Amino acid sequence: MHPFQYQRADTADQAVATVTKTATATFIAGGTSHVDLMKEGVHRPSVLVDVSGLPLKQITQHEGGLRIGANVSNSAAAISADVRQRYTAVSEALLAGASVQIRNMASMAGNPLQRTRCPYFRDLTQACNKREPGSGCAALGGYNHVHALFGASDACVATHPSDLAVALSALDARVQTLGPRGPRAIAFPELHRLPGDTPHLDTVLEHGELITSLDLPPFTGRSHYLKVRERASYAYALVSCAVALEMDGPKIRRVRVALGGVAHKPWRLPKAEAMLAGQLPSEKLFRAAATAAFADAKPLEHNAYKIPMGRNLLVRALLETSGLQALQGPAGTAFAASVGGVAGQLAVPR
Amino acid sequence: MNQAPIPQAGDLAPDCVLPNGTRLLDLRGRPVILAFASDTWDPTLAHQSALFARLSADFGSAGAAFVDIASDEWQALDCRGALAERFGVAGQRALILLDEHGVVRWRTVVAPGQELRSGQVLAALEALNPATAPAAGPEAVAFQLSRRTFVTATLAAAALLLLPGCGSSESDQDSADEQAAATASDTVAVALTINGQAHRLTLDPRVALLDALRENLHLTGTKKGCDHGQCGACTVHLDGQSALACLTLAVMAQGKEITTIEGLAKGEELHPLQAAFLMHDAFQCGYCTPGQLMAATALLQDKTMDTGSGVEIREAMSGNLCRCAAYPNIIAAIQDVQRA
Repeated sequence: MHPFQYQRADTADQAVATVTKTATATFIAGGTSHVDLMKEGVHRPSVLVDVSGLPLKQITQHEGGLRIGANVSNSAAAISADVRQRYTAVSEALLAGASVQIRNMASMAGNPLQRTRCPYFRDLTQACNKREPGSGCAALGGYNHVHALFGASDACVATHPSDLAVALSALDARVQTLGPRGPRAIAFPELHRLPGDTPHLDTVLEHGELITSLDLPPFTGRSHYLKVRERASYAYALVSCAVALEMDGPKIRRVRVALGGVAHKPWRLPKAEAMLAGQLPSEKLFRAAATAAFADAKPLEHNAYKIPMGRNLLVRALLETSGLQALQGPAGTAFAASVGGVAGQLAVPR
Repeated sequence: MNQAPIPQAGDLAPDCVLPNGTRLLDLRGRPVILAFASDTWDPTLAHQSALFARLSADFGSAGAAFVDIASDEWQALDCRGALAERFGVAGQRALILLDEHGVVRWRTVVAPGQELRSGQVLAALEALNPATAPAAGPEAVAFQLSRRTFVTATLAAAALLLLPGCGSSESDQDSADEQAAATASDTVAVALTINGQAHRLTLDPRVALLDALRENLHLTGTKKGCDHGQCGACTVHLDGQSALACLTLAVMAQGKEITTIEGLAKGEELHPLQAAFLMHDAFQCGYCTPGQLMAATALLQDKTMDTGSGVEIREAMSGNLCRCAAYPNIIAAIQDVQRA
């Protein structure tokens, strides 16, 4: 591990000022991803500013929605009654991710900032433009079965690994930050970038810009998260899907859909969303929307399986959210979110 | 110089000037260890510096004529330097042993990410075996001493190889910031509360809680499995919640109540879950067991979780891997305590 100076921040202002003045300084909160990457030699901060002690640990009512402090743990947010009842997809995404231990440690602001799980990013012997700009992309001609279908570039085909980010994107959460130029709000779907020719930049956050809270806007519809992975628990999504559905009588007033595991950021589906608005929910409609959604997918050598998988997942997520098909487990739990059942059992008793 | 052949075992080592100005030739009559170190600092191995110091003290106090690790015979050398080039080990961690006559008796290169293996140490000892020693008669006694010297030296050298060296291929790429941090990688005072006891340590900030527990405080009940947050063997409680000690920097665990497997039993009285693990034969090799127990006890404390169903327990325990696959028995043990 590269040597670093450790500093504990007492205030957000101080944390921002400290990181801002040193180009290779970084924040650390839960550390579940950052410490691992430091051990791997992928992250090499010279100054580590510990923001885990900042008083950003509250979940509060905010402008008709919820404000989740940056340092609220993934566990605490997932089991919050407010989150579970009003933003069910958030609880489901959190509980279908990582392990209990990691959810206890990981912060809500840190979760969407975790780095890609592209294996080449973590392998210092391989070319990776995200880790080392200009070095190339080993995944392009490598084993790219977990890589992107949408929005990739010749420089990078990595996907974003966060489940939470997918749910926050579908719910149009807002990210409150404090940066060198003061506070600002960022619409969640704008937080992450596409790789383009600068894949080393995951987000639009400036150096020294600290997330202080995630704000969930008022929402009275139903939301749901579904995840397909290679084993029943404690694995990253191959493909995942978050749906935020608002009905108007029997018809869909508005639906927002984001896919995980298919792009460098949570992948919203504006075309499908437009097709569904104002319609009566039906499997036929959902399948048409799913077909449209994947029409412009660009598979790589090893990840074309994600197209039918993603289409079917999207249809199922819409069916379950709209009530046309029963959830697999209690809403707001990993059991509702895990396609194929959870650890140790295929079907979950209700 | 570049064209000179690389000295192999049995060759007379070329005379070289060591960084401190000593000539190798001047060290004839004593065995010399040349240890080429890299700067790959691994906090999990930091405890070996203590071993290094202890070996030196122990052997020194025995009154024998052993190599003083602070003396000229010990050379921690920059693996990027000219000397490393000369000995054909540039960019690698390596150990080269010269006997009293200046002949290379043994040389080994440690592969990246590897430790010096005991087999390699044995091979080194074999190389210095009196039976194969070039000298006999009165010198045999001296050789006997040399051999013991070599035991000390090799063990210490093994430790040395794992410590930061003086050179780095990366230093020229590092920014001024990084260089500043590298030179100022100060240790920090760390106050930890573990199983109700206060501990004060001085640690490199890179040290993970897991390594602080095991290597500094010798609380070795907490196991190191993958060291990357994938197996759960290092599970401890932080403020009553399960957490991974391998992904927690020790310096960041200050102010938290840390509970380890050593803190679970009350004296001789086992925690009910420990007893249930015994009852249900919930382990084979036992390596994952401390982590399983810590994860499961936290689970039992968590009143928000319905642990009645085996399915929920399985899901909640998915962060703890068991290579022996004792899962059914682990689940049964947890359910037993839950029902009690």
